[in-house]
Amino acid sequence: MSAVPLPLDNTLEAPGTRAPLVLGTSDLASITEQVCEIAERPRPSREWLLAFGISASVTAVLFAMVGYLVWHGIGVWGVNQPVAWGFAIINFVFWVGIGHAGTLISAILFLFRQKWRTSINRFAEAMTIFAVICAGLFPAIHVGRPWFEYWLAPLPNQMQMWPNFRSPLLWDVFAVSTYFTVSLMFWYMGMVPDLATLRDRATSKIRQIAYGIASLGWRGSGRHWHRYERAYLLLAALATPLVLSVHSVVSFDFAVSQLPGWHATIFPPYFVAGAIFSGFAMVLTLLLPVRRIFKLESLITPRHLDNMAKIILATGSMVGYSYIIEFFVAWYSGNPYEGFTFLNRALGPYAWSYWIMFTCNAIIPQLLWFKRFRQSPWLLLVISIFVNIGMWFERFVIVVTSLSRDFLPSSWGYYMPTWVDALTFLGSFGLFFTLFLLFLRYLPIVAMAEVKSVIPAAGLELGPHHGHGQYWGEIPHQHDEQEGR
Amino acid sequence: MNARVRLAAGVTHSNAGGSRVGRRYWRSLEELADSPAFRTMVEQEFPGLAEELEAPATAATRRSFLKVMAASLALAGLTSCRWPKERIMPFAYRPEGYVPGVPQIFATALELGGAALGVLVKSVDGRPIKVEGNPLHPASLGAASPWAQAAVLELYDPERSTTLVRREGGQRRVPTWDDFVAFAAEQATALRQRGGRGFAVLAEATSSPTVAMLRHALLGMLPAARWVEYEPVSRDAERAGLAQVYGTSLRALLHLDQARVIVAMDSDVLYGHPEALRHAREWGAARRGDGGAMPRLYAAEALLSLTGSASDHRLALPAGRIGALLLQLAAEAARAGVLLPAGLGTVSPFTAGTPEADFAVRAAGDLAQVRERGLVVVGPGQPAEVHAVAAALNEALGSRGTTVTYTIAPDPERRPHLEAVAELSASLADGTTEALWILGGNPAWDAPAELEFAQRLAACPQTVHLSLYENETSRLCRWHLPRAHALESWGDARAWDGTLSVVQPLIEPLYGGRSPAEVLAALVGEPALSAYDLTRRTFASQWGGGEDAWRRALSDGIVANTAYATVTPRLLGDAAGEAGGRLAVRPASGRELILYPDAKVFDGRFANSGWLQELPDPITTLTWDNAATLAPEDAQELRVKHGEVVRITHGGRSVEAPACVVPGQARGVVGLALGYGREAGGSVAAGAGVDAYPVRTAATAYLASGVEVQRTGRRRLLATTQEHHVIDTLGMAERGRRVGSLIREASLNEFQRHPEFAKNATWSQARPLWQEIELKGEHQWAMAIDLSACIGCGACTIACQAENNIPVVGRKQVARGREMHWIRVDRYFAGDPSDPQVRFQPMPCQHCENAPCESVCPVAATVHSEEGLNQMVYNRCVGTRYCSNNCPYKVRRFNFFNNFTKVAATTRMAFNPEVTVRGRGVMEKCTFCIQRIEAGKTAAKNERRPLRDGEIVPACAQTCPTRAIVFGDLKDPSSEVSRLHRHPRSYGILEEIDTKPRTLYLAKLTNPHGAAGEGEASS
Repeated sequence: MSAVPLPLDNTLEAPGTRAPLVLGTSDLASITEQVCEIAERPRPSREWLLAFGISASVTAVLFAMVGYLVWHGIGVWGVNQPVAWGFAIINFVFWVGIGHAGTLISAILFLFRQKWRTSINRFAEAMTIFAVICAGLFPAIHVGRPWFEYWLAPLPNQMQMWPNFRSPLLWDVFAVSTYFTVSLMFWYMGMVPDLATLRDRATSKIRQIAYGIASLGWRGSGRHWHRYERAYLLLAALATPLVLSVHSVVSFDFAVSQLPGWHATIFPPYFVAGAIFSGFAMVLTLLLPVRRIFKLESLITPRHLDNMAKIILATGSMVGYSYIIEFFVAWYSGNPYEGFTFLNRALGPYAWSYWIMFTCNAIIPQLLWFKRFRQSPWLLLVISIFVNIGMWFERFVIVVTSLSRDFLPSSWGYYMPTWVDALTFLGSFGLFFTLFLLFLRYLPIVAMAEVKSVIPAAGLELGPHHGHGQYWGEIPHQHDEQEGR
Repeated sequence: MNARVRLAAGVTHSNAGGSRVGRRYWRSLEELADSPAFRTMVEQEFPGLAEELEAPATAATRRSFLKVMAASLALAGLTSCRWPKERIMPFAYRPEGYVPGVPQIFATALELGGAALGVLVKSVDGRPIKVEGNPLHPASLGAASPWAQAAVLELYDPERSTTLVRREGGQRRVPTWDDFVAFAAEQATALRQRGGRGFAVLAEATSSPTVAMLRHALLGMLPAARWVEYEPVSRDAERAGLAQVYGTSLRALLHLDQARVIVAMDSDVLYGHPEALRHAREWGAARRGDGGAMPRLYAAEALLSLTGSASDHRLALPAGRIGALLLQLAAEAARAGVLLPAGLGTVSPFTAGTPEADFAVRAAGDLAQVRERGLVVVGPGQPAEVHAVAAALNEALGSRGTTVTYTIAPDPERRPHLEAVAELSASLADGTTEALWILGGNPAWDAPAELEFAQRLAACPQTVHLSLYENETSRLCRWHLPRAHALESWGDARAWDGTLSVVQPLIEPLYGGRSPAEVLAALVGEPALSAYDLTRRTFASQWGGGEDAWRRALSDGIVANTAYATVTPRLLGDAAGEAGGRLAVRPASGRELILYPDAKVFDGRFANSGWLQELPDPITTLTWDNAATLAPEDAQELRVKHGEVVRITHGGRSVEAPACVVPGQARGVVGLALGYGREAGGSVAAGAGVDAYPVRTAATAYLASGVEVQRTGRRRLLATTQEHHVIDTLGMAERGRRVGSLIREASLNEFQRHPEFAKNATWSQARPLWQEIELKGEHQWAMAIDLSACIGCGACTIACQAENNIPVVGRKQVARGREMHWIRVDRYFAGDPSDPQVRFQPMPCQHCENAPCESVCPVAATVHSEEGLNQMVYNRCVGTRYCSNNCPYKVRRFNFFNNFTKVAATTRMAFNPEVTVRGRGVMEKCTFCIQRIEAGKTAAKNERRPLRDGEIVPACAQTCPTRAIVFGDLKDPSSEVSRLHRHPRSYGILEEIDTKPRTLYLAKLTNPHGAAGEGEASS
């Protein structure tokens, strides 16, 4: 980043010294000021208004499309026999995948004590919540009779009917709703101290009341911090398996069926890797402009970008490996249906989508082996957008090519989306960005309390710590045993 | 009060001049509101209100008047919701044998092109809902063609003509039948004075003895009148050919069960023949290889037909070369020792070594070997000479009397259809015919193009047209009369072999139509006689027997021993040789256009039937369209792509149709089905296909030689149910690899050496990973489908559609891949693409014991019954469509829209009340006709007896012409289905993924020439 002076390049690994996680001359107050200022502007900027206007309009399109769909029936989409699932399921898996980065950053990196996460976790978690909202919409509208959807819930009812617990779709309901609930709690709980800061700084009555309610009476007492850190840790522990389970369960939708191209044991790890891959790409896609616009370069440093790029490189390579190993398994199994499905993916009528997927996901991210690509925000932005495109096409390839040509050649078909499909997909981005813009406008977009704990002013270098915010480094009572207590 | 207002409604109704429905009442509201009768009525019903009506002076009183009137008029309008009041009568006594809600079966007959098909019609509470074949009827033997089955839909078609129409001076009036009877009487008087000069009746072919008697009476009354019979699709060439060699008009009856070797020359005996259902039955029975022998079928044809698909050896040959091939066959037969009449067997148009010559050598060798068990049959499109030579060949083989018998053709003096209509057209043009009554048919649309029949008809001063629909012809006629449907009128008809059936109505004419006999009766001065009286009179006078015989005829659907007598004609000395001589000089010609009756809409008369429009063509799987079919080589040569519109020109006439590439079609041939592109065919027919009649002249009724085909560059999306898009080479190769395990087949010899050839033909064997659930039901339902018997006709698809209230989704939805048929007939091509073998496989739900659909449904809407049925619970379905994704057979069908919103009130009457009508967002599929299973179980239980095998028959199995589909109980080891499941030829498809299908297929057997299976390639 040219704005950052060279001596302060924190991407270098110098043995024996910790690279600073926050650059510039940040002190505790300036961090508060820097972050709160964004949410405290008296009126939104013209750009924000423009962006919000566009995304709200696109959201309106989404709701119009949903209304149109519910009024007329699933036939307004392009789905048919044999391709009974189309854009809706593709979009669902796409958005759920994106919703992986937040919790991964918050929970898993927290447990692994990756301190660099503090600058981006709030942001990533918010993205997770919004992506899961978008994802949840699609299964809800894709059924033929959405008004009977509650039959999927295991509610006692007059029909004396339980749902079918053997169905992966039911597991999906549980997995996604649990994931959403836990992610939301995690995000909200982590935000409480920052909301209290906003409350304390609020000048208008409305803001005082709103942030007051939202901050749950946080006073910053030692007891509060203690409870808070315990709860955060527990939620992190709870959320960690969910990161892995939710996309595994989503992959069961495919893997549990007997369809060639779906029926594969590699799916759970492959899906999880893909989800993290796409989630980090989406975080980057959003973060890079925000960082620039709100001048957060000192908090979200090149080191952050570098780390995220490395994760993208790692998961992208896993995904690429999966693509290749799928071919091997198809050949090695000797199953002719499986073999044809993969040949058909690469060379059949949908080959174009396969090669878009392969290029975007398995080839382009390999550029991140070069440091230059990891640290140039512009190049990163381009790569991350390619990854987003590629990961959408991955789901397209999985859903559509497998279904369009299964066992009996007589029932082979071709799937073509309709304008309703396209506008619904577009509309889901509208919803996502609307929520995201509201987040940028009204909530603390960087976890101030956590960032403060990693800046030099927090005295990290000064031996055993005193004060709060060190929960990532010092788990309460962790020294009790050593000290004979 | 309520009752009084309703009474008022009734009075209003009768005042409105006998209008049947409330809708008409509303139309004449203003007129009515002021009529004296109305005021009287108001006075009677609402004393005190009449004053307000007299002088609606103040706003307040006008308002109260309007309030009361609104209420009474609203109730009066309710008449639109009911059937005519005067016809609804409660039963004081329940009619014998009638239990409300319990279906009743009536025997009747449906006529197509002058040949009757005996059917049984199921009627529920007075509504006919399903047509089945009549097992006693010789042309049906229990099967029904798609056309016959679609008759119920036609009956309830809301677009059928509902009123008489009179057109005068550009005005369209709606007269009554009384007006018409008066007009007819007036006409009869006028005509009688001039002996009927200038009067002609143009009738579609009918075998009705009553119509024949009335025709007799008419021609007796008006000796100078003319009776013309015309059918666009006729078998006159066969008749003429037989007349050439036998000297009289004969009708041939084929006996495929007697045949060991059949040579079909451009002849679709298994589908395109009045007795196709009987042929198919005999074929299906003979081809199972049970006795170690089966007939061998040779087919030479231009277009790919079902008979060609079923054949052991098929030769794709332009239709114009069929005659030459027949001569070659005769020559080879002579060489093999068959003694031919003089002049035959001397010419060999094809040089040795060509595929044609090889075909002839093999076929002739086989024929010579089996002699009287051989059969040569020629299609109706071929010229009379070809028929003549074939008849002589059969005679020489000694086949007459075994595989083919002859009867005297009915109405032997009749002029051929094409000549008759040409003469009529000429007489209309020169004014010698001034009055023309048309009974049925649609000549203005389907007469040969060069006759310009429509213009001449329009110029004729007095024209009457009786028709089910107000069609292209009706629009040009002075009078249009609505015809009573065959299911709503009395009549009689004779089968192709002459067996008499009485046609009895299932329902009162819905739209007040009358039958042709009634219209003729009005003309010959017997207007008081109803169709019933006329039919009874004919029956009594010709077959006698009184009441008992009549009741017997109604109950059986046939009158026994009324078939035409078989005759033993003698071959005229040189006729066959001369016919052969005329054939020999026929030159080979350029590109051919073949105009053939469509497999679904026939000559166009069924074009307004959604069921038939949506039935996939057996070969092309095309729906809602006809297309110019082309051989792949021709398409390549012309650089025409599938779906590209081509212009076909012949003799200055042209037609534009989308191209459809059909492997196996002869090179240099374009095929185009008749019957599409209707202008006034109704809303269903509108926009379906292109009209081929404009290029069809009398000379090119079947075959036009030397046509030109040009590209137009435009495209039309063809709605096919297979290959929704043009398939790529990768997919094509894979399809080729898979067909062998989906449709297992062997020659008869191979089967005898390896009876278990069909078993274990998969790439792996699945083993269960867990203990499987044992089904404990009292019955275990299962199905077996014999691919040796199946000819791919699609009758099962229509039967299923009618039985199970399956919606018609329309062209666009089919193009999207959303057709709803529960049983489809998969069509595969195998072998060399230029000379492929065609294989058919009916595909209903397989009712897998280990059903992949069941485990993935999140709401348990599809579950297994204890009796082994994979059940779909519509009420529970939320529509995730996961079951469809996981079904390896893709037999599940989803209601993407509400498919029944646009169904007319009359069409709703065709619904089977035993089957739920599915709403949108719900998955559906084959149930093995669970309503029939339950009805059968209930009946057996009520009678305290076990179920008998064969008592429960699903709709597809019931109508299958070849009896390829068998259903029954596996728990009963002696049941037919158990026997077939144990049969060495039985196999399940996709067994390797362990779905355990309850539907097993019996591998196909073929019987090619020579030591089959030892390197002898089937042609």
